[in-house]
Amino acid sequence: MGMTAIIAKLAVRAVRVLIVEVPGQWLTRVELEDQMLRRGWRRAWAPADADVLAVCGTPGPELTPLVDRLWEQMPGPRVRANMCSSSTVSSALNDAATLYVDTDQHAKDARERAQEPQIPHDDMDHSGHGSHDHSGMEDSGHDHMSHSGHDGMDHDNHTGMHHNGHGEIDHSGADHMNHSGNDSMDHDEVDHDSHADMHHNGDDHMDHSGHNGHGGMDHSGLEDSGHDHSGHGGMDHSGHGGMDMSPGGIPLAQGGPDRDGLEMDVLHLPLGPVLAYWPAGLVLDCTLQGDVVVDSEASIVDGRDHEHSLHVFAPDLRAALLCDNVMALLALAGADDLAARARQARDCLLRGDHTAALDRLERLIRTIRRSWLLRWSLQGVLVLEQVDLHRHSLPASCRGDAYDRMLRTLARIQAAVGGAGPMIDDDVSWQVLPNLVTGLELATLRLAVASVNLRLHPTTQGGKA
Amino acid sequence: MTDSGLVTVSAGWAVVAGAILCSLAVFAIALDTGLTARAQGARGGWTTIAGRFARLLRQRRRTTVAADTMLWRAGGVGMFIGAFFMVAVIPLGQWTLADLDVGVVWLNTIDVLVWALVWLTGWGANSTYSLIGGYRFLAHGLAYELPLMFALVAPAIAAGSLNVGAVAAAQDDDLWFVVWMPVAFLIYLIGVMGFSVWGPFAAAVATDITGGAGTELSAVDRLVFHAGRYLFLAAGAAFSVPLFLGGGAGPWLPDWTWVLIKTLAVLAVLVWSRRKIPLMRPDRFMTIGWTLLLPAIVVQDLVVSVLVVWKG
Repeated sequence: MGMTAIIAKLAVRAVRVLIVEVPGQWLTRVELEDQMLRRGWRRAWAPADADVLAVCGTPGPELTPLVDRLWEQMPGPRVRANMCSSSTVSSALNDAATLYVDTDQHAKDARERAQEPQIPHDDMDHSGHGSHDHSGMEDSGHDHMSHSGHDGMDHDNHTGMHHNGHGEIDHSGADHMNHSGNDSMDHDEVDHDSHADMHHNGDDHMDHSGHNGHGGMDHSGLEDSGHDHSGHGGMDHSGHGGMDMSPGGIPLAQGGPDRDGLEMDVLHLPLGPVLAYWPAGLVLDCTLQGDVVVDSEASIVDGRDHEHSLHVFAPDLRAALLCDNVMALLALAGADDLAARARQARDCLLRGDHTAALDRLERLIRTIRRSWLLRWSLQGVLVLEQVDLHRHSLPASCRGDAYDRMLRTLARIQAAVGGAGPMIDDDVSWQVLPNLVTGLELATLRLAVASVNLRLHPTTQGGKA
Repeated sequence: MTDSGLVTVSAGWAVVAGAILCSLAVFAIALDTGLTARAQGARGGWTTIAGRFARLLRQRRRTTVAADTMLWRAGGVGMFIGAFFMVAVIPLGQWTLADLDVGVVWLNTIDVLVWALVWLTGWGANSTYSLIGGYRFLAHGLAYELPLMFALVAPAIAAGSLNVGAVAAAQDDDLWFVVWMPVAFLIYLIGVMGFSVWGPFAAAVATDITGGAGTELSAVDRLVFHAGRYLFLAAGAAFSVPLFLGGGAGPWLPDWTWVLIKTLAVLAVLVWSRRKIPLMRPDRFMTIGWTLLLPAIVVQDLVVSVLVVWKG
């Protein structure tokens, strides 16, 4: 056995996995987490650190190109593992482990893949996934209003400044073709569509002008957050008329007045749909100044596919899902040990082991109550008073701050497992999210989102079973 | 220097000092891995650390679009080598690599460099999460750095010298400084966790921003950056020994053993504390840093000064 093989054998014990959770596939993710724990594998938070890209479920037309982009960003050796349901997780991971140590294959992959990082606006991407985007767009019955709106905008700007904002390499060939031809929506518009599509609202103009300012950092390498960066390509350039400098084809960030009335650079950051401890499929398009979210818009990736699914909830399953939410909140707060306990309680619930689950829940709640540091950390995160509940038509269970909500959720899980009957489903609709979180600092926003139980999708798994 | 009673060894011994520092860092990683595995009910073990190392060696380096590569790499490499410079002035028993008159200031110099290093790592990648990680570290720095500086002042006042050996020697026939300046010791440890971007102060590389300043790092770049954090943690723990814990003082065993034992103990406490303390969000910690830690350490310095004058 050569040195390379020894290193590969060692490395396979410490593989890091980037998890893509297709909406509704949380049980597959839970099974994956369980299997990873047994192998000593850990979760990767970003594609740069990932060896295995694990796709839980079958991604829809919007998610597919994003997953491909994440794949492009992984440094390699890289392995892709598709698991369409929780029963295939084990075999998918076995295959991934085998592929991971196959050094020759990885050397070949390294030679054949793109050698330089690309901004997502490149030709390759579109030739690869253009059809997907298109089909998704046609199916969704996209409105012509926004088309015409974009056409005008893009054509106006195209002559003068489109090239300024882009790398010459990317657009020297194919882009010109697209624009000079009659299919003016082939390139930019595809992305606009997917963008508009995800917002489910009509006022696309508002929407885009709101994002004029973003640029710069936006395009670099954040695709782990998943949202289609190319979706903003056109808008950026329209907002950057006078810009001459554009390193790497990326327009520089624009300034805007911040909350103190000072000029500050505006960045654009889509949170989700591929983000750890974040509701699967949710995309929150944030406009940032520093790390303060000054504007945001929510959408659901591939939302339409799940709309008509059954909405049935087994009580145990729902308790486990809430437990999963608590785990995410604790993990984001940096309380790793407590998060591990919440996770164990969740796994007990899914196994149907009520006694062990109750025992773990009780210990978890006791420790949380004792930890004044955790209370201090979560106190004051997204405080919702009676008026706020009324204004956003939120359920009474949302009252208080993140700490209150977490303890309340845990108490409800405990009661439900203890046999107090089925839980009422008073989850919060994701549409209300931008109203709640705009103006928060990013870390607080993550805690705030994790602290409310969002209704994003019916659990298609289990619910039907 | 003759007054500190230290022997300055030749530069070749730097290799040994480096090896000791690396061993301490590996100990910290092993302990953290073990504690994490126990909390999760998973398997751990020594092969895990070798595996992590091998994984990053096997990974390919990557870059991002329009990255400021030079500054980006400089940040990571700087994190790795910074801690080695820091330990150069720590006496191991009676031996030291560099017997600086201003050793305490030297520690401070290196830890202030971390501001630049983490910021450059966050900035260079040209990525929003990285950049936010950089912001967060600076915000933390604003809150912990001044209290840390005042905490370093306390032992220096008591010893009447900025020489690390002299500070250790001043505790020889006296109470250890940790006993009569506990606030300074505590704040020093907070500062160590701060400049190591460790545990409660790891907000700059936290999960909620997908690894923050380290988001875009892979392969050996990731290895040096994160190894650097552990090395700083180890170096900070080692520095606390001459400053607060009496240096090599201790019964039966030779003094260099005592330095190592005390270092390991402090390091273990730092690693363990991560499990008990949640993440300090920069905005929250800023309040603590300026309204609680800073006044407390100024009072501590005052008390130390008065005691020193009073004892004559």
